[in-house]
Amino acid sequence: MNVIEMNRLTKHYGKSRGIADINLTVEEGEIFGFIGPNGAGKSTAIRTLLGLMRPTGGSATIFGQSCLEHPDIRRELGYLPSEVFYYDHMRVRELLNYSAGFYKKDCARRIRELADIMDLDLNKKIDDLSFGNKKKVGIVQGLLHEPKLIILDEPTSGLDPLMQQRFFDLLAEENRKGATVFFSSHILSEVQKMCSRVAFIKEGELIKLEKMSDLQADSYKRFTLEAASAIRAEDLQIEGVSKLENGQGANSVTFMFKGDINDMLRRISGIELRNISIEEPDLEEIFLHYYAKEDRAG
Amino acid sequence: MNMYGHELKSLRKSALIWTCSMIALASLFLAVYPGMASDAAGFKQLLSGYPEPVREMLGIDLDTVASLLGFYSMVFAFVTLCGAIQGMNLGVSILSKESRERTADFLLVKPVSRSSIVTAKLAAACTALVATDLVFFAAVSVVASAVAAGGYSGKTFLLINLTLLFIQLIFLALGLAVSVFFARLKNVLSISLGTVFGFYVLGALLASDAGDEAARYLSPFKYFDSFRIIRDAGYEWSYMLAGILIVAAGIAVSYGGYIRKDIHAG
Amino acid sequence: MNLFWREMKANRKSLTIWSACMFLLVAGGMGKYTAYSAGGTSSEVFEHMPFSLKALLGIGTLDVTTMSGFFALLFTYIELTAAAHAALLGSGILAKEERDKTAEFLMTKPISRSSVVTAKLAAALANVAVLNLVTLISSVVMVNAYNKGESVAAEIVLFLLSMFIVQLIFLSLGAFLSACLRNSKNSGPAAAGILLGSFAIAKITDLTDRLSILNALSPFKYFSIDRIAEGNGLGIGIALSALALTAVLAALTYRFYGRRELNL
Repeated sequence: MNVIEMNRLTKHYGKSRGIADINLTVEEGEIFGFIGPNGAGKSTAIRTLLGLMRPTGGSATIFGQSCLEHPDIRRELGYLPSEVFYYDHMRVRELLNYSAGFYKKDCARRIRELADIMDLDLNKKIDDLSFGNKKKVGIVQGLLHEPKLIILDEPTSGLDPLMQQRFFDLLAEENRKGATVFFSSHILSEVQKMCSRVAFIKEGELIKLEKMSDLQADSYKRFTLEAASAIRAEDLQIEGVSKLENGQGANSVTFMFKGDINDMLRRISGIELRNISIEEPDLEEIFLHYYAKEDRAG
Repeated sequence: MNMYGHELKSLRKSALIWTCSMIALASLFLAVYPGMASDAAGFKQLLSGYPEPVREMLGIDLDTVASLLGFYSMVFAFVTLCGAIQGMNLGVSILSKESRERTADFLLVKPVSRSSIVTAKLAAACTALVATDLVFFAAVSVVASAVAAGGYSGKTFLLINLTLLFIQLIFLALGLAVSVFFARLKNVLSISLGTVFGFYVLGALLASDAGDEAARYLSPFKYFDSFRIIRDAGYEWSYMLAGILIVAAGIAVSYGGYIRKDIHAG
Repeated sequence: MNLFWREMKANRKSLTIWSACMFLLVAGGMGKYTAYSAGGTSSEVFEHMPFSLKALLGIGTLDVTTMSGFFALLFTYIELTAAAHAALLGSGILAKEERDKTAEFLMTKPISRSSVVTAKLAAALANVAVLNLVTLISSVVMVNAYNKGESVAAEIVLFLLSMFIVQLIFLSLGAFLSACLRNSKNSGPAAAGILLGSFAIAKITDLTDRLSILNALSPFKYFSIDRIAEGNGLGIGIALSALALTAVLAALTYRFYGRRELNL
């Protein structure tokens, strides 16, 4: 069954771009990544899906129903917005109980468990919490009713690495129990760790949708080498190298590589190195790559 | 019920402040009534020395004005002004505060329809207003019986005080309807004060043409005239109908507007 | 200066709306003059009537059949409008940084708290002055259009001068409240509450002379409308005390805002 379906989903507002003609489906049990730079339309797509905004065209449904027409369907939905704001004057416990009150089931035990995992003090006033702690409230608030669909909009901002890890473990656990997870991010590595499929969005359009396993195969690495003597370009020219350029300094080069890393490392081992770094290319580079590919295809 | 309870709790404090202020205003004024009544009695005596036409010109008005209810009507005009601001402020803020405090993302993804959100909030606002009026009525009744020398009609007193609720509901509906047209409303107070004072001044200026019945439709403050209520022991139903229409239209617009509204991020 | 112009620009739209409303109020109010001037029911009976009864019958002490008397009546509402503008402006101009979560941005700039207050108060002052001028010009023009008797321009100038001082009081009161209340969100309602309370007191003390002591609490009663309408000026002592009150409130604003724990 398709848990999420977007069918030619379009949303314009005023002069700003919004999103256009987005088609995607997410199946039950998937962890789906929704990736794009700032302002690409990730939040717009999610907000339209959730029924916070009305689509200009097309449709978006969860569990086969539109949130606008069947608000009840959101009983199975947990949502964590990118920026969390709650009623300042309330205590954490009051807010969580208020939230639980919408779902017609007893969530008290789950609230305690989640607060334990996320290390959250239930007696504090929301007003007095730091940004990261508010985010934790958001996480607990989104998961306390054990939803079958979890939608997260840039969930990790503001969490320290330890908490990020706990949070991802939590999501994996929910996923094992059968929950479908849909999350947006602009950090590729975050998505790579978790997701089974990803969709790329740029300037309001879906430009690529593929399985993580396929994407991994054409995963790019950015190499920066600094050698004792000048590096000859020919030494590095194997299948999969692109954008080979001189770096800062005479004996340094940078390039992108896609293929078997072992092949490349064998090549490099012949060079007397001073320094080396192998990085994930940033998202912009990946996008440039996809754009180039699209242009060629078109 | 969950939302209703939550809203009611958040309205508690402001309703309490409004109630206390309105009671203080009315009691302060009523406290000087006994002195005023003796002034009036003396003046009536003096008046008996004047010729018949002069007495006729003043007599009726004077009797009404110097009675407890007539006297109360004067201060009641300001109580309704306060009540109107309370109602308008409540109406403008209660739906828009979710966007203003950025909690819309929390509430509007819950498994409840937009219309049930409006219903819960509207019910909470009405409850707060009715509670305000009940407590106010109880308090001023006590003060009024304490200062009234000759007794007064309890029914008329109730009829006058009931108009406070009508005015509050009219401005509540007006405020709700206005609020749904703003994406993010920051200056709730400016809008409510501006609108209420606008209608108040409009009403005050209209008062000069007592005969101009049509112009009275322009300001809700002129729908319920205390002196006419004292005279007729009832309301003017055409203006009552106008009030009901405003409330119905305002609420309909609020539901329609809120259901269609896009909730933007950040 | 940067901040001053930023504030001027931010308040441009609201000032335009207030000015337009003010013009409509003056124009609409003067349109009613003919109705009042046609009335004319002075009688020696009224001379003997107790103050409270006259007030209750809506006669008051003003002779609304004359132009200056009628303008004085209208002036009550003009002043209320201007005071509401000043109170909301004063309480909002400092508090909005916290409300809009921009305080962090502004307060990390190389600028002292007191210069922030100075720039903002100066901008608010300019706004208040513009509204006063708009009112003055509309009043003089509209009154001239209806007036058939002698010119009352001098009285109007005095009325508006007294209004300016009342505007200053409410402006500084609003600013003071936003600087001293812990939650600056409450400064708007608090300022509006005081405004409404002052107005109610002013209206009630009009109705009975038994509560005159309360006039001290209401800036609307600091300047006697009757006195100005009769052409007797403002009263220099009261004007100076009102200005002193403004100065004290402004000084307290600087002091409290300087020490304020901002809600970021």
